[in-house]
Amino acid sequence: MRSPLANNSAPETQPVPNAPYVKPAGAFDEAFDEGRQPRAHWQQLLEHIGRLGTDGMDDRYRRAQRILRDDGATYDLNNDPLSPSVWSLDIIPNVISNDEWAFVEQGLAQRSTLFELIYRDLYGEQQLLKQGIVPSEIVFADPGFLRQCHGMRLPGAKALILHAVDIVRGENGQFVAIGDRTQSPSGSGYALENRTVVSRVMPGLFRDSNVLRLSAFSQTLRQTLAGLVSHKTDTPRVVVLTPGAYSSTYFEHAYLANHLGYPLVQGGDLTVRNGKVWMKSLNGLSPVDVILRRLDDSFCDQAELRADSMLGVPGLLEVARNGNVVLANPLGSGVLEAPGLLAFLPDICQFLMGQPLQLPSVRTWWCGNPQDYDYVVNHLDQLIIKPTYRSFASKSIYGHSLDAKARAETLAMLAKNPAGFVAQCYIPGAQAPIWHEQRLEGRPGILRTFTVATKNGYSVMPGGLSRVAESTAEVIVTKLSGSRSKDTWILSDKPEVEPSAVTEFPRDEAQVTNLPSRVIENLFWFGRYAERAEVSLRLMRTIFKQLNGVEPLPPESRNILLQALSQVTGCLPGFTENEELLEHPNDELAALVTDHERAGSIKANLQAMLACGEQVKEMLSADTRIILNELRDHIHEVDRAYTHGLPSVPEESLDGLVTTLLALSGLNNESMLRGMDWMFQEIGRRTERALLTATLLKATLGKPLPGMQQQLILESLLLSVEALISFRRRYRTGTRIEFGLDLLMIDLSNPRSLIYQVNQLRKYLNELPRNESMTSGLSPENRLIIKSLNDIQLADLAQLAHVDHRHRSRASLQQLMSQIIEQLEQFTSLLSDKYFDHTAGPQQLIKAKWKAEL
Amino acid sequence: MRYRVRHLTEYLYAAPVTLCYNMTHLLPRDTPKQRCLSRNIKVSPTPIYHSAGEDYFGNETYYFSIQEAHKKLTIEVESIFDIDEQDLPNQLSLQVPTCGELRQILAYADTPELRMVKEYLLDSTHIHRSAKLAAYAADTFADEVSVLQAALDFTHKIFQEFTFDASATSISTPAEQVLEERRGVCQDFAHFAISCIRSVGLPARYISGYLETLPPPGQEKLVGADASHAWFAIFVPELGWVEFDPTNDLMPNGQHIITAWGRDYADVSPLQGVIFDGGDSQKLNVSVDVQRL
Repeated sequence: MRSPLANNSAPETQPVPNAPYVKPAGAFDEAFDEGRQPRAHWQQLLEHIGRLGTDGMDDRYRRAQRILRDDGATYDLNNDPLSPSVWSLDIIPNVISNDEWAFVEQGLAQRSTLFELIYRDLYGEQQLLKQGIVPSEIVFADPGFLRQCHGMRLPGAKALILHAVDIVRGENGQFVAIGDRTQSPSGSGYALENRTVVSRVMPGLFRDSNVLRLSAFSQTLRQTLAGLVSHKTDTPRVVVLTPGAYSSTYFEHAYLANHLGYPLVQGGDLTVRNGKVWMKSLNGLSPVDVILRRLDDSFCDQAELRADSMLGVPGLLEVARNGNVVLANPLGSGVLEAPGLLAFLPDICQFLMGQPLQLPSVRTWWCGNPQDYDYVVNHLDQLIIKPTYRSFASKSIYGHSLDAKARAETLAMLAKNPAGFVAQCYIPGAQAPIWHEQRLEGRPGILRTFTVATKNGYSVMPGGLSRVAESTAEVIVTKLSGSRSKDTWILSDKPEVEPSAVTEFPRDEAQVTNLPSRVIENLFWFGRYAERAEVSLRLMRTIFKQLNGVEPLPPESRNILLQALSQVTGCLPGFTENEELLEHPNDELAALVTDHERAGSIKANLQAMLACGEQVKEMLSADTRIILNELRDHIHEVDRAYTHGLPSVPEESLDGLVTTLLALSGLNNESMLRGMDWMFQEIGRRTERALLTATLLKATLGKPLPGMQQQLILESLLLSVEALISFRRRYRTGTRIEFGLDLLMIDLSNPRSLIYQVNQLRKYLNELPRNESMTSGLSPENRLIIKSLNDIQLADLAQLAHVDHRHRSRASLQQLMSQIIEQLEQFTSLLSDKYFDHTAGPQQLIKAKWKAEL
Repeated sequence: MRYRVRHLTEYLYAAPVTLCYNMTHLLPRDTPKQRCLSRNIKVSPTPIYHSAGEDYFGNETYYFSIQEAHKKLTIEVESIFDIDEQDLPNQLSLQVPTCGELRQILAYADTPELRMVKEYLLDSTHIHRSAKLAAYAADTFADEVSVLQAALDFTHKIFQEFTFDASATSISTPAEQVLEERRGVCQDFAHFAISCIRSVGLPARYISGYLETLPPPGQEKLVGADASHAWFAIFVPELGWVEFDPTNDLMPNGQHIITAWGRDYADVSPLQGVIFDGGDSQKLNVSVDVQRL
């Protein structure tokens, strides 16, 4: 590998290398000047990279990747909880000098002020349209112009709270704005995460570089959101509204919610009642004052906006219109993203602010104007064609890349609907160095900047989200996906006096403990799936050991164990009705491990558990995320081991899974606060373990076998619940069924006994919030648990172990276990009715819309 | 002329509705020639939340939500109006501008009013301009014809060539399909006319309201026999928005009561919203009574 940086001997003062890559002619380079010498504000960073050398850089890169993965920094989950794509980060920050930034900062603050004024005008007096500053059809034809938002009450000093502007450098190095994001600007969370990671892998460099901190930005955002509350309150209730775990930027939503200390909610977690917005929580409905939304305008309210939205809160727009809830950003702000507006921005700025636009936008031609249209048609090769307004389907056409046919089609498209398109100059963007295949390479980059409203204006995040193309072939970075991100460093002349690091904000305890019902439900299932996977894994491991043991397993014992496995996994009929399968169990056993399409298989349970975890990402601790990643790795290992069916030592690869699941439950017990989140996860676990223990006892011991075979069954059972050693120690006299039942059913000191689970459930129930209308007497779910506890305690073990010879079964044992299973299942459904949300989605009132009939 | 309009809407659900949110355009607005003396709306069960307002187009809105379980929803609206008659013959004698001139005027759009009128030249939820529709209307709206004469001719043309048929179409039938089948109800004709007029580059808007029906001579008028109605208006500089009723081949004059206007039905739908639960079927009864006082 030829690399100018491959020198590992690291002398004290290694000379800073000249630009190690060639930049395209005419392009500006962030790091190196025209003579290919390092720019002054890059010197320190480049020297540092030189000192680290290739190995050092690779090592930093790997550490960064690990941190990102452990932080759960994903992008675009693509419905696969097993292999989330990790956020792509280049560890070399993009460095911008303070002098240069000061100019950009002013320009951005002005631009946000301007966009806020445009919002107010378009949804108010519309002077921009009436006076012809903006051709009215640009706004009137924009699907993002929501007439329903006309006259909305905007209680805050500023309506537009957050604004993101994509900027690139032209050939002369001047920054130019090429697009705006106003509905729910994304990227600021990723920028914060990038900063955390880069400052951790290059701590010394970061400390010595006088990099401007990002923490003030979050602080301002918090203050502003709190100030939006329409009534006087000391504890403004703010939530972050996300479309959910399958949104491509879900990580960021969870990150921001945690970082700012607000609950993360989905549309279904909120409801409109009495003209206000409420969160459905464990403690009932709790009011919401401000919504930081990451949901696009049209999806927010099924009653007045898109009726087919699955993500919104019906009635939300009306509440917002009356100022009883404030959305950041306000509904209807999507119209500000229209590329068509850019063509008129300098005039708009003069008209609304009486001053020239400071930060120029990319030169834009609106084809609805005949002169512009002529220019565009004659210079197509040099231009990018975009729709006048922004939508999901918006695609850009790069004039220079068109062949004759595509060119003709583009011209025809423009001729048919000129007002529907704009053209923009193509700006390749400045080159920035990235670390790629053990050396520095140049890539064109773009910077997303962020502003947040304050009382008097807008405050700009010092830095932002830099993105560069993955390959040199790409001409411009457009989307978040398929590009690599960078931290952005604005260097100050002097060290900052402010406290360092991105600080977590104090959580509002009352709010944080008051969790949305959906979160509680997911944690409950997280616990259940984890337990289900663990119990099945243990039984499966035992069966593998017995099947491949030195002594051949007698067929009667084997059949009972295999059938118990089908019962416990719920993969029925499985072994229960198939002689053939019992003789040749390998394929079915392999399927029970790895077939994720079979509900009840190990993999299906783990996948379901990870999916629940993903839904409540913001609730999981850093350590939990690390363990879940290990679990993902182990699942992949098992998949590999089982590629060609059952491997020769099938239990071997399962050990990792069991250990990881144990680590998870250990972590929960040792490190989680005993809040409602812990409680419900624990209730899920205990209920599941109780159910499966009862199922297991019934399936293994319900049917009697003669001497030796019976003993094998009991031992296997004890082995699978890790009780064999204690059993042997305690009952030296022999392996009688009564002894087994004693240990597995009624021993309160055995954390895997049936009674232990039910007893824990009874304790937890007393801690749950009580429904006020149920003040007297026991709740029905409590009754069921106490009854189950009594049933177990009052059981006569000798009677249970007794074999009813006529039916060749242990009838009392079977009956008792069935009864307990039924009671526990009733218990879960009562719990679910009481604490989880069961609202069906809304339907449109007018299915067959009515017609005027005359 | 003074009128009282009673409009009763009733929904019957298969199962109780537990929660609903509705935006209505049921309360008639004021216009330069229509003055409301009183308007009342009564919803049952009583809404937990309600709010009256004015929408983007200046129409009256009434928003309500109900949180108590109900299998029946009724909305009663009663309003009283004075409506002025127009000097239509005088208006029609205006020969300027022609369709060609109006298109030019709009291309330059040099007054705030004209710039705002451009909203009604574009596509909207139920209006999609097309070459086929333009071809159908091109002769009528030729450059040299006065806009008013053209609109009157076009109204007559639709009345002549299309059949009124309440069973013919489902809701919001696309204009091109209406053109093919040549049948529909007032709403289809209004949408069709607007689609054609916008396709030839002229501004048109949708009007919802009521029409007083007169019983055959010698018979008593039946209560509740009236219905809601829809027609269109075209913009003419100096005159403003001039109305035409293609279903009845006339220019409304004193007997048409306007509820709301917008780009098309979607802007002024009488009732929109969502319900929770309510089963999988619902029945709608509407009765309208327009009475001359």
